[in-house]
Amino acid sequence: MTDMPRQITLQEWDQQYEQLQKAGLYQPDYGGLLSRHIEDGDTRLSKLRYDNSAAALRLWNFLLTEEERLHKARAEGKKLVGTMKDLGTIPVMAYSLDNLVAFYPDGAWWIPCVMELNTPLLRIADTLGIDESFCPVRAMLGAFLTGAHFPIPDLLTCSVGATCDDFSAIAQRLNGLGYPILWWEIPHRRCPEPDEPMVMLPGGFLAPKSQVEFVESELNRLKTALEDLAGRRLDDRKLSAGIKKANLVRSYLAELRQLVFTAPLCPMPALEMLIAEMLAIHFCSDQNETIIVLQGLLEEVKSRVRAGVGFLSPDAARIFWVNPVADLQVMNLLEDCGGRICGTEYLFTHALDTIPQNLPPIEALAQMALADPMAGSSIDRASRICTDIRTFGAEALLISRIPGASHCALEGQVIGEIVQDQLDIPVVEIEVPPLTGSIRPKLCTRLEALVEIVKKRREK
Amino acid sequence: MKTIIYTCPYVPAEWIASHGLRPSRIMPAALCSTGPLAQIEGLCPFVHSFINEVVTDKSACGVVVTTLCDQMRRAFDILVRRCDLPAFLMNVPHTWQSLAAQKMYVDELKRLSRFLLRLGGKPLSNDTLTRTMLEYDAARASILDARGYLSARQYAEAIAAFGRDGPAKTLNKEVSTQPLITGVPLAIVGGPLVTADLDIFDIVEQSGGRIVLDATETGERGLCAPFDRRRIHDNPLVELANAYFNGIPDASRRPNSELYKWLKRGLLDRAVRGIIFRRYVWCDTWHAELRRLKDWIDLPVLDIDVGGDSQAHQHRAPNRIHSFLETLQ
Repeated sequence: MTDMPRQITLQEWDQQYEQLQKAGLYQPDYGGLLSRHIEDGDTRLSKLRYDNSAAALRLWNFLLTEEERLHKARAEGKKLVGTMKDLGTIPVMAYSLDNLVAFYPDGAWWIPCVMELNTPLLRIADTLGIDESFCPVRAMLGAFLTGAHFPIPDLLTCSVGATCDDFSAIAQRLNGLGYPILWWEIPHRRCPEPDEPMVMLPGGFLAPKSQVEFVESELNRLKTALEDLAGRRLDDRKLSAGIKKANLVRSYLAELRQLVFTAPLCPMPALEMLIAEMLAIHFCSDQNETIIVLQGLLEEVKSRVRAGVGFLSPDAARIFWVNPVADLQVMNLLEDCGGRICGTEYLFTHALDTIPQNLPPIEALAQMALADPMAGSSIDRASRICTDIRTFGAEALLISRIPGASHCALEGQVIGEIVQDQLDIPVVEIEVPPLTGSIRPKLCTRLEALVEIVKKRREK
Repeated sequence: MKTIIYTCPYVPAEWIASHGLRPSRIMPAALCSTGPLAQIEGLCPFVHSFINEVVTDKSACGVVVTTLCDQMRRAFDILVRRCDLPAFLMNVPHTWQSLAAQKMYVDELKRLSRFLLRLGGKPLSNDTLTRTMLEYDAARASILDARGYLSARQYAEAIAAFGRDGPAKTLNKEVSTQPLITGVPLAIVGGPLVTADLDIFDIVEQSGGRIVLDATETGERGLCAPFDRRRIHDNPLVELANAYFNGIPDASRRPNSELYKWLKRGLLDRAVRGIIFRRYVWCDTWHAELRRLKDWIDLPVLDIDVGGDSQAHQHRAPNRIHSFLETLQ
């Protein structure tokens, strides 16, 4: 354990960094002062509060150096695959070939937040007719056009079908601007009919076998494209090894989530946990390093739990959080308001569940893709949320709407009603734009009210 | 006869009718700002109106919803929770170039068939399907042939009536004996219209224009391709699937290049001089096409965005259309 757990500012991190250095902190090649990223324009960092462990430092530095890593990979002759939308499937395939590196251009949705709108990305999207009525992921268009935030990938894939319209429309706009896209389909996951052969997917959803077979056929198309790009075969042996490695990442995350969400004292703040979970979807462009980063976090959390130390008050309201936030600062805000995260559903639970290793690898990946919570109904999604709320003992549900996202208009109502019916816990829905400064008082009021309700209910 | 309601153009009416049921394509009377489902920020007004129309429907015995757009896909979740009407969600693939996508569409039709049987539909026979397809095909052809002899509104109403009532009542309006060729030729492009929107066609005519290409989802663009009579007899289901799945260009397809090919042909053939781009607020699929269309075509484009408040739209649209046409005359 590095130190007594504390949340510190970026400025305090510089002092903490010096102390860690003196104590012999090992730094990977991307390591260094966190504050240096401000020079890249990541000004939001100065307004966040961070965990003070060396493990968290490594996590943040890893996250904030992805662009350099992608350029380095290209310079080394590796091919880059931009995997849009599927959140967890194609990267597993791409990383099974050692000369491919996959990343999510969708990740650009956080740039307006991290750079506090000091980039022209949203303005560029505006000029392309993709205005603020779309999800903040529209920043991706600007990132492609400027080439300033990630290198243009050698192959661009995008899953469509049971996905949100805003992303699909933005991807089509990109395609219309001359960026070739390999489209592939994930159908809406439906309930199997009586007597229809069915499969239980990772995570527990059921799907007709025919839908799994359909996705398998789509993934085989993708496999061929990846093989063509890599100039080598992606056989079952390599894919199985890739799945095994992805499962290692998932197992660390599962353990981390279980420990953090259920410990009597919160051992790792919500913000670092959000970043850690995001690593599962594409390994932040370095799968091996992801494993090391997560190992570090897990060790830190284990030692804190063993020592009975952590953050926040022991009576912090235990909140289950649905959907990722466009403004990272809101994760700090929840804690300021007396809450802690005890369970999450950030749109990619399928990237956290173990991929079956006892099946042909493409079939296993097809099952995983179809287990995407967004591919099925909001009713299915609510049922998974209920299960996870019970597992982690959350006392309230917070649904965070993403501005302009097509799924947010109707899903909140369905999920909220089902959770209330089944679990009788309070549900609050908020909307989080990329920068929440102007609505911070309103958000505070909503979050504080939720915390208060939770605490009042404990008195009954 | 039991009625099955739907709105998506990729639901083949012939398929429902061949089960001895009455297909009826819903075109809500107007955009509703009230109803059983309250207005929700971010919800497409058409989806909202569709949900309220279905929830309050007293005549149908089932509803078919598709995955053509994300909000409609999610509307299904609302319907199954709020409404007793049996509902079916049909997967319409967004990709269309692979055999697997086409096969999925056919498989979904077969699954729809089982749903229809559960609602009391008759088992399907190839003979019935063939006969129904020929009947619908002839009706569609007669509407398309009459285009030049009807006012733009009458033409749009004929297509809507065909969707609502089937081929029997097609073209019950008086058709002119002379071609109607007056006015600046315009196209209207976008998603589905509601009945109240048909006023746009009148407004255009009153302003000196004429809609010669109805490229809305409820217009000519939403009609499937003509059937190949030889292939109908070989395998009616495959021909039906081909005419619908491959014959209706839409902004939601990936890629949606076929929409632009279709538009290019239509705009050229009908010497269109301007485009009314009509879209719903929160319909990302069509909204994203607006600037692309403007960049793609060397024609003036009037963007009419419609929120949930029909009245505000009705007050604003005529002036804008009038001004647009003034610049074209």
